[in-house]
Amino acid sequence: MGRTADRRIREVESQAVTPRTAQQAAPGIFRARRSLYLQYLVEPFVYLSPAIVLIGVVMLIPLIIGISYSFQAIDLLRPFNTGWIGFANYLALWSDRKFWIALENTFTWTFWSITFQFLLGLGLALLLNTQFHGKKLFQALVFLPWAVPTFLSALTWAWLFNPVIGPLPHWLAALGILSEPYNILGDPALAMWGPIVANIWFGVPFFAITLLAALQSIPSELYEAAEIDGATSWQCFTKITLPFLAPMIAITVMLRTIWIANFADLIFVMTGGGPANSTHIVSSYIFTTAFRKLDFGYASAVAVALLLLLLVYAVVLLWLRKKLVRI
Amino acid sequence: MARIELKGVAKRYGSVEVLRDIDLEIGDGEFIVLVGPSGCGKSTLLRMIAGLEPISGGDFFIDGTRMNDARPRERDIAMVFQSYALYPHMDVARNMGFSMEIRRRPPAERTSRVKQAAETLGLSALTERLPRALSGGQRQRVAMGRAIVRDPRAFLFDEPLSNLDAALRVEMRLEIARLHKRLGATMVYVTHDQVEALTLADRIVVLDGGDIQQIGTPLTLYERPANKFVACFIGSPTMNVVPATGRDRTLSLKNGAQIALPQSAGLERAAELGIRPEHIDLVAPEDADLTGTVDLVEHLGSDTNVYVSIGDVGMLMVRRRGNAPIRSGERIFLRLQRENTHVFASDGSALAHASAEAA
Repeated sequence: MGRTADRRIREVESQAVTPRTAQQAAPGIFRARRSLYLQYLVEPFVYLSPAIVLIGVVMLIPLIIGISYSFQAIDLLRPFNTGWIGFANYLALWSDRKFWIALENTFTWTFWSITFQFLLGLGLALLLNTQFHGKKLFQALVFLPWAVPTFLSALTWAWLFNPVIGPLPHWLAALGILSEPYNILGDPALAMWGPIVANIWFGVPFFAITLLAALQSIPSELYEAAEIDGATSWQCFTKITLPFLAPMIAITVMLRTIWIANFADLIFVMTGGGPANSTHIVSSYIFTTAFRKLDFGYASAVAVALLLLLLVYAVVLLWLRKKLVRI
Repeated sequence: MARIELKGVAKRYGSVEVLRDIDLEIGDGEFIVLVGPSGCGKSTLLRMIAGLEPISGGDFFIDGTRMNDARPRERDIAMVFQSYALYPHMDVARNMGFSMEIRRRPPAERTSRVKQAAETLGLSALTERLPRALSGGQRQRVAMGRAIVRDPRAFLFDEPLSNLDAALRVEMRLEIARLHKRLGATMVYVTHDQVEALTLADRIVVLDGGDIQQIGTPLTLYERPANKFVACFIGSPTMNVVPATGRDRTLSLKNGAQIALPQSAGLERAAELGIRPEHIDLVAPEDADLTGTVDLVEHLGSDTNVYVSIGDVGMLMVRRRGNAPIRSGERIFLRLQRENTHVFASDGSALAHASAEAA
């Protein structure tokens, strides 16, 4: 298409020049020129239209409707009290203590989940990139958590934390971490760690798979060259492996952060946001507001706030990536 | 600079023996070329010297110290890889100074050494570029610069020119020869290209099937090959080899031609006669050993290659200097230069040689 477009530009340009010299009074030249321009502008979008229509219907229109909801009062429990209310939802949000707790929880939840998922995933990837006996089996086992349905793993983890049927509280007590074997999911100070542990277990395979793929694409001669240059294993890791992994790390950490920040399934099944709202993250708060309290207007306002936060985050990370990554 | 010694070195992968009983002494400042067909184990041998492949047997010494199990960084040897193995995320200067960065040398020393190396290799204008912005020849130079900056005990080259086009290859070959002259460093160079081997080497090691076939100066290999393999591998175009039987000091070819050789030893074990294309003369009919018909003539400008078919003997290639006025279909009379005739036994080993006797 590029070549035709180029040719067309050339035609347009040649026509733009010729009227002055040769065909001084040829009528219709300018009209033809404008229609050519129009064709040039519109044609690409005609080819793109299937994708545009799909994205519009599936993403853009719902997004716009969702944003418009945040400026309306839409509460199914008060059906007669609807309509545009300006920024009232956002003002309520500003003074909503539960929202701020949820926001703080979102940070805790996302930060610890992503940190441990990444570090353990990187460790596993490095391990799987070496040769050892039984590697195939180990590899299959590592990738297994990713294949377990979320709500099943959430239920299993909830049971594991239950002192009546699960071993974890007893182990933690035996190690002296807990004073007695009780269910940490019932303790507002510790409850958040239940879903975080489950999430780490669930998310490690993702990092292991993607980082392993990136590791395997590093040419082995580079390590040989570095070894001959005198690098130790640690220097090989920091000066070759990490720079090579950096683009993959940046993109996976960004993706996973956004997914995890929005990922309420584990929390919803394990604690339901309790006890005393201590484990609500923003997205589980949105879910309960919308589908338990049926206040769609307010839930939309919270969702827009979360969207803005994640947008800022993505921009910062992409900028960092551009700054740091040279490959 | 270093002396490198291999004594009975072997390499095995499980039960497969890739290299057997390699004995090789590389003198201080010597340029050694390992040459052989692909799969002969020459790269493996080089990687064993570098420390990238474990040595399965025998002893390996650098300057008299046994280094069989030393890590590559303890051996203080630089290597230039076939793929160059430049670090793609570092610019040229950092690539070249990487070994000093690793050893935590002061940055001032690093920059001055890199600058010096960049100047000798004509890379000064490119030091801030990334490898992907360089041409093949420039990358090759950076890879060499990386080795020079280190001032190592020995340089290893693993087919460094095979990724370059023909013109550049000649240029870089010259560059490497110059480098060796200036640095006076011990260098071990692997190639499958005999022209590189003949032009660069002080001594050539010909490998085949995991064994050393012959070690010698380029001229020795050309003039006195130890066996049929070396004879055919070294020299271009390849040596003509035709079946022959011998009695006393005379060889007889299949068409009955008798060739008396000035050889002291008997020729009873002779099975084949070898003669290089440039060692066959065109003579008058009465002086000829052989008479044949020209099948094909290749005019190369500097040389003319003539393919001559001679009855039962088969095809012989004759090389003439310059542009010889020979046409295909012509009858042609050939005489073998006696002092440049090689005789091989049925196991391929060369029988005592006329010029060897003279030497």
